[in-house]
Amino acid sequence: MRKPRLPEVTHLQFLVLAVLQSGERPGRSLRKAIGQYGVRRTAAAFYQMMARLERDGLVEGWYDQITIGDQAVTERRYRVTPAGAAAWAETRAFYESAGLAAARERWSDA
Amino acid sequence: MREVFEPAHADLRIAYLEARQRARSRLALARLRILYAARVLLLALDCGRVVIAGTLAFDRSHPPQLPGDRHPQEPFTMLVYYARHALRLLLREPGFTIAALLTLALGVGANVAVFAVVEAVLLRPLPYVDADRLAILKHRDQRTGLTKQDVAMGDFVDLAARQSVFESIAGYGSGQGLLFGFGDPFRVSTLGAGPGLLDTLRVRPVLGRLLQPDDSRPGTAPVMVLGYELWQRRFGSDPNIVGRGVKLGPRERQVVGVAEAFRFPPAATVDVIVPMTVPATAPAERRSGWWPYAVARLKPGTSIEDANANLAILSTALQHEYPRSNQASEYFALPLRDAVVGDTKAALLLLLAAVGVVLLIACANVANLMVARSLARRREMAVRMALGAGRAQLVAQLLAESLMLALTAGCAGALVAMWGVRGLVALLPASVAAPGLADVRIDGRVLGFTLGVSVATALLFGLVAALTVKRESASGALVAPGRVTMSRTARRATSALVVVEIALAIVLLVGAGLILRSFVRLLAVDPGFRADHVMTMGFAVPSDRYKDADSRRGFHDRASAALRALPDVRDVGAAVVMPLTGNNWTVPFERVDQPVAAGARPPEVGWQVASGGYFRALQIPLVAGRLFDDSDTPHTRPVVIISEAVQRRFFPDESAIGRLIQSGDGPAEIVGVVGNIRRADLRDEPRADLYFPAERGPGNETTLFVRTTSEPDGVLPSLQGALRAIEPNIAFLEARTLSDVAAASMQVTQLALWLLGLFAVISISLAAVGIYGVMSYVVRQRTREIGTRVALGASRMDIAWLVMRQGAAIASLGTALGLAASLVASRSLAAILFGVSTSDPATLAVSAGTLIAATFAACCGPAHRAARVDPARTLADQ
Repeated sequence: MRKPRLPEVTHLQFLVLAVLQSGERPGRSLRKAIGQYGVRRTAAAFYQMMARLERDGLVEGWYDQITIGDQAVTERRYRVTPAGAAAWAETRAFYESAGLAAARERWSDA
Repeated sequence: MREVFEPAHADLRIAYLEARQRARSRLALARLRILYAARVLLLALDCGRVVIAGTLAFDRSHPPQLPGDRHPQEPFTMLVYYARHALRLLLREPGFTIAALLTLALGVGANVAVFAVVEAVLLRPLPYVDADRLAILKHRDQRTGLTKQDVAMGDFVDLAARQSVFESIAGYGSGQGLLFGFGDPFRVSTLGAGPGLLDTLRVRPVLGRLLQPDDSRPGTAPVMVLGYELWQRRFGSDPNIVGRGVKLGPRERQVVGVAEAFRFPPAATVDVIVPMTVPATAPAERRSGWWPYAVARLKPGTSIEDANANLAILSTALQHEYPRSNQASEYFALPLRDAVVGDTKAALLLLLAAVGVVLLIACANVANLMVARSLARRREMAVRMALGAGRAQLVAQLLAESLMLALTAGCAGALVAMWGVRGLVALLPASVAAPGLADVRIDGRVLGFTLGVSVATALLFGLVAALTVKRESASGALVAPGRVTMSRTARRATSALVVVEIALAIVLLVGAGLILRSFVRLLAVDPGFRADHVMTMGFAVPSDRYKDADSRRGFHDRASAALRALPDVRDVGAAVVMPLTGNNWTVPFERVDQPVAAGARPPEVGWQVASGGYFRALQIPLVAGRLFDDSDTPHTRPVVIISEAVQRRFFPDESAIGRLIQSGDGPAEIVGVVGNIRRADLRDEPRADLYFPAERGPGNETTLFVRTTSEPDGVLPSLQGALRAIEPNIAFLEARTLSDVAAASMQVTQLALWLLGLFAVISISLAAVGIYGVMSYVVRQRTREIGTRVALGASRMDIAWLVMRQGAAIASLGTALGLAASLVASRSLAAILFGVSTSDPATLAVSAGTLIAATFAACCGPAHRAARVDPARTLADQ
């Protein structure tokens, strides 16, 4: 069995990847979704985090044109990459296994 | 930065547009717009913060330290700390903050507005490929100093063949024409392009081809190239236009292509480009018979100085070869931008310097406010020092406050500039034909300038205030918190600042005063004719219907009779050159009985073609002989009229009437002498002028001068109606009153007067506020001394005089320095001044008097307060 190691994604990145598991989203909707978990980030801080995730190859971002009234505007949309999905699964597995191990230890102590 | 700002800005914009959809009133829309602008600004700041924080990647586990702590600090954290602290302090003192912000916002706003115009006119690249290599050839008559932008055709051909500094030289001419066959005939702007013009300008075709050298050869089929805008507007971007025939004026021309969108000269619309014939070799006869304009492209690596050195050598050679036409004649090249901008460059730079002075005064005032405010904060500073804060940290805190103030003022200043810029452009003279002027905007470069000015401003007034922070005073401030006094340094600094303010205000006041006196002198100038109640109106008749001089004369006779029959018309005349528009066309003058020696060039006099009615309409007095009349026809012997200056210069002791002079049509008889007029400009000395009769051969395009008994503007429709009744296909060109023409000739002086006057008023007000502040402080500081003096028997007048004397000392020093500085600074005004010297004693005296009076008024309040000090109460308080 492979030796477990600490996940490389932070809690916040884990949360973003989790939200994106359900499918692609525009940035502002993503920011709103993580806000429901009590995470408040200014737009600049949020998009800097997303830029880092893109740079690490965990998410993919692109501009999409939408129309509001008579004005065409672009918005940034994101989807999780296979590497991102793998990192998220790995992190989730780590916490689950760590939690199980801790519980088992408690049982054995008892 | 971009990867953060762009998506975040997109979200902001979406939210704004969605809210805009829901907005129900204009007020709500305006509110949304302001909110959106503010949010974008905040977002930009936040992006900067996030990116810097990300770059520094400091350890977040330690909370920010207080500035009093001497441990090594995280730079970014400290920056944020200082900024927040500064913001809190400024919000706590709204009175000070608003006063400082208003002063700075006006100063920065005026600077930004002027810089935006300077950027558009002087800095923005002209819209041509390698525009800095384009130059205009000009001609200077060394005897009179007069310059012309055109080149004699013979010289043009020789210069083009012999020069070694230009990649190409091309002749051109601008004009207007009537285009037929597409509904009503309509006027188009034409560009006559000599061989190679479009290559020199690097213009490319969007359809078909451009002109080729063969198109300019005499005898080839007439062709034309359409301008992009006309092709779009009138021909609906028809892709099949190439090959079609279009009637331009009397000739049908084949369209061979459509040029990309461009303007030439830089501010002129180009609707149609037609070939202009330039002979392959210099004509042996009449080398100066035709004067095209010329534009050249410098060879790569060649400077304008190299080009002028080459042209000087060629001009000298031409002077020796053709002394009769070229003696004292010199050609030179001027960068295209300089040729376009002309005198306005100096005026704009002067304006920039003037607003710079206003900003300096504003800085001095805010620095004074900061110093006064730092007094009230002595206790706070003392506590910090006692807790271990170093002087550097306190200075940093004060600088942070200055920076916050200046940056906010910068934002407000940019808003002020957005409105100010429109007013400034509207004030600029119509003669400024820089292409960027139509599009003056607050763009990235201007915002960069705003940021730079704001930061420089903050450093300037912040440093003065920061330097007054003194360590040794800490214990004193803590022990005796009630007695707040300025340190000696601070006292000197505030007085010095007011002296500087007064000196700078004097400089502006003297400048405005000198220009005001010039303007008054200009208004009093007698131009030699009466400009009131005269309508000027250009028109063109179709050249295929009026082919010869007789038919054109017939039209002019009918038109003059019809116009004179109108109830409000007194006199009607025609002429080619519009007075007071800077035109200085000249013609050689040579008496038949006193021919110029062989190999010498005849002197030049001003050239005009005018009808007899022109002199009557403008009320130019007839001194001797007669005016042109119906007896002068295309078939009678040539006659001319001279001005008094010609009479004095060439016929000093005899009558000129009946004498013969050489003209293009052979000897011409002088039939009349008229009064001198200032033809080119009101500032010009009246020059010698020679008038040829319009009656002998009026052109297809003429300007009418109509003297009316009522307001000339109201008569225009009936004038045009009467002419259209005679010729339905007549095309009307520009129409304006002669008074407007005269006013336009003074526009540069008027602009300088308005703006310098405004800046002078602002600077006097600021200086007065400055001295008021200082004197108020002095009175507060000396209350005890004043109380003692009153108790010992000093009268109220003595006390008031005590205060006034101190104010007078500051004002005198400032005035003396200001007068000395203005003697140097006003030299830069020399080009704009008229009839007044740069060191005019009356202006200097009045300026100094005005400022001393303003200072006196500013001291009155503090002196009054000092005189009312109650000695019993003051001494008891102590």
